[in-house]
Amino acid sequence: MRFDGKSVIITGGGGKIGKAYAMGFAKEGAKVALPDIASADHVVKAIQDMGGTAISMACDVSNEKSVKAMVDNVAKQFGSVDVLVNNAAYFMTVKKSVFWEMEVDEFDKAMAVNVRGSWLCAKAAFPYMKQQSKGKIINISSGTALNGGQNYIHYVTSKGALIAMTRAMAREVGDYGICVNTVSPGFVVTEGRQVDPAFNANRVGNRAIKRVQVENDLVGTVMFLASPESDFMTGQLLNVDGGAHFVG
Amino acid sequence: MRFKDKSVIITGGGGKIAKAYAIAFANEGAKLCLPDIASADQIVKTVKDMGGTAISMACDVSNENSVKAMVSETVKQFGTVDILINNAAYFMSVWKGPFWEMTVEEFDKAMAVNVRGSWLCAKAVAPHMQKQKSGKIINISSNVALTGNPNYIHYVTSKGALIAMTRAMAKELGDWNICVNTVTPGFVVTEGRQVDPEYEKIRAQQRSVKRTQVENDLVGTVLFLSSSESDFMTGQLLNVDGGFHFVG
Repeated sequence: MRFDGKSVIITGGGGKIGKAYAMGFAKEGAKVALPDIASADHVVKAIQDMGGTAISMACDVSNEKSVKAMVDNVAKQFGSVDVLVNNAAYFMTVKKSVFWEMEVDEFDKAMAVNVRGSWLCAKAAFPYMKQQSKGKIINISSGTALNGGQNYIHYVTSKGALIAMTRAMAREVGDYGICVNTVSPGFVVTEGRQVDPAFNANRVGNRAIKRVQVENDLVGTVMFLASPESDFMTGQLLNVDGGAHFVG
Repeated sequence: MRFKDKSVIITGGGGKIAKAYAIAFANEGAKLCLPDIASADQIVKTVKDMGGTAISMACDVSNENSVKAMVSETVKQFGTVDILINNAAYFMSVWKGPFWEMTVEEFDKAMAVNVRGSWLCAKAVAPHMQKQKSGKIINISSNVALTGNPNYIHYVTSKGALIAMTRAMAKELGDWNICVNTVTPGFVVTEGRQVDPEYEKIRAQQRSVKRTQVENDLVGTVLFLSSSESDFMTGQLLNVDGGFHFVG
């Protein structure tokens, strides 16, 4: 049980990828908090059904008060915050368009949720991690920041911002034994998601490992970064996309 | 026991960093082969004393016949090769000086051991991994390739070559579910190594995690890349240097 009794926050915990992380951590003994702007109750139930500990609460990560209330509530119920996975993102419902036709409101929304939201969660979790001189923050970026995905410049830009933010955060919190790293997943075909088969075949063909990426492909890396095995790794970008992009 | 009965080759198996890898793999049930141009007998003894399985043999990784013989012997004794750690390097005894004063012989030696050697070992294990449609190859590079450290251009260049080689190997081996990744360690002050304390202090200060890097700081990452947790990660560079350099 690598995370026995550890307090783990997974933002956007009601989503399919959030669920995969949550199940992975719960199986290793963690107490899991799953804030989401939508409901994460079904994930909480799945974890409780397998004998684990999980809570969820409504939270808008782009709102400082909402985030602070969420993190304080987690610390109150679980004793502290050991791991923060900044997984919440404005993605599934983004309005797609070329950048010269995008509205300012739409652009700002992606930055507010994906960038400001990750910063706010880290800001709120930091005092608890500092107190115990230990902590892991994992910012979920995206392979679109590496290849410049088209027709959602706000999303791509926000995910690139997280890579830079991770590095500055890592330097600022290193003295407190806190590691901050980024994971950039490739395109994940979550359970039940409909994708254009021709486009998907092309995507798969660009990988070293030529198959569809699924939720569980990310779990091992996120748990590695949350574990003591990666205690001397911080500020780094771990790209998990079956070998489509190589960074550096 | 993540590596129960897995056959693991760690080249340069007699060195101090290799010892840290070897003991960790042995603790998780792996059978170890520790080829070295010098002797790895003391590490074999340590592993056996703890109830593990290990063999060693003389091997010059820059020589194809020597590498082939080493891999054949490993397969004969352990049945296959599941994991290859290309850790052997011409490093401790390199000639140091500006590149315009370096001899061709000296330059070629670094390339022969560090680059050709890693390729030859991968070449020799590939058929065995292809046969079982799984395998992990980890090429140990160095963060000097990121910094461009002066006064050993051959070493720096050879470590940069491994980053590119990893990517091409990943693409060539993806169809067999063989993952190839690189680790770039920072400057490791191995047990008993004498370093200028002033210089080491400066180096530590440049990190996010401001302390000396030791052998064990690398172990978690190498084991992660050897494990099924990283099955969809290939061609990647994992930098483990306490948050000194950020790649990408």
